[in-house]
Amino acid sequence: MPDPIHQFDLHRILPLNLGGWDVSFTNSAAFMLATVLLSTAFLVYAMRSRGLVPGRLQSVAEITHDFIADMVRESMGKEGMKFFPFVFAIFMFIFVGNMLGMIPGGFTVTSHIIVTAALAALVFVMVLVVGFAKNGLHFLKLFVPPGVPWYVLPLVSLIEVISFLSRPVSHSVRLFANMLAGHITLKVFGGFVVMLLGAGSFAVLAPLPLLMAIAITALEVLVAFLQAYVFTVLTCMYLNDALHPEGH
Amino acid sequence: MSDPSDKHGPASGEPSSQERAQFEARISELGERLGKVRSHRKADMDEDADAEMRGRGMAYGMRMAAELVAAVIVGGVIGWSLDWVLGSRPWLFLLFFLLGFAAGVLNVMRAYERMQREFAARGGKIGQSLPDDERG
Repeated sequence: MPDPIHQFDLHRILPLNLGGWDVSFTNSAAFMLATVLLSTAFLVYAMRSRGLVPGRLQSVAEITHDFIADMVRESMGKEGMKFFPFVFAIFMFIFVGNMLGMIPGGFTVTSHIIVTAALAALVFVMVLVVGFAKNGLHFLKLFVPPGVPWYVLPLVSLIEVISFLSRPVSHSVRLFANMLAGHITLKVFGGFVVMLLGAGSFAVLAPLPLLMAIAITALEVLVAFLQAYVFTVLTCMYLNDALHPEGH
Repeated sequence: MSDPSDKHGPASGEPSSQERAQFEARISELGERLGKVRSHRKADMDEDADAEMRGRGMAYGMRMAAELVAAVIVGGVIGWSLDWVLGSRPWLFLLFFLLGFAAGVLNVMRAYERMQREFAARGGKIGQSLPDDERG
């Protein structure tokens, strides 16, 4: 049976050691670099003509821009557009990373929790920094819901703090778990095909898991987009709390 | 229609009653056919929207589960580390575990409210399939 976990193995392409730390350039790093280069190259190439009437590639780039811009405006209002570059970069990185992982033999960078945790931590720290910089101590109103009597306030605030701290956890685990589970499922069904083919007369059953693998591939493409979308929507929502801590 | 030169004639622009009846019959036939095409297309679109909603539903379901579990884990970790620092094992762990559960329920309720708003903004497709008394 082919090992379904093998696809997530890291191996060093360019071993590096910096002051006792292993900072080797791995296949994961290579795919992250490819993600960044690919999305940058695509956007730059698509917008090269800057036509008033967009061509095919340019309209794809413009649709992507409008999609994220609408999302940012909807959740944070006009002032939220300051965060547009950040949100757009997050979306492009996750979406292109997920899609590169869909290529057979590719590596899915978002299937490692350290990558998604780093992204979620980036958003979390950003919310804290922006929240305190913009609202000062008023940012702490986030933990004081309106209309709560003073005698349960400590308890409610404690729960709110835990709820706030749980955000980066659910934010990162969701993306990671979806990508990991999807790719393992794909690999397992692919493995069934190979095993059945090698099992004598049972080979007639081999098309069944193959059909399943094809269906799951289609589903995975949808999941790759949806999870990038969900991650981005949540990023917008959390940033909105930094801008307007009073209203949930 | 008649050709433009005699359209301006005094009586020739008026269709006869027979012509008019024919015209009405054709209109009603066209209306029927349009209605059929429209209902087919609507069913197709509903099906597409339904499949999309199912995909989204799956994503939202996962999101709910993650919201609940994450808060419980965070609460547990906070309690466990406080116990470790203060040497009061296992009391703070138990307390924060429960607080984490409360925070998880809070997270799920907030996520649910947000989803309701989103669906309502998009035409309330999933909201309609819920009983009224379940709405926040």
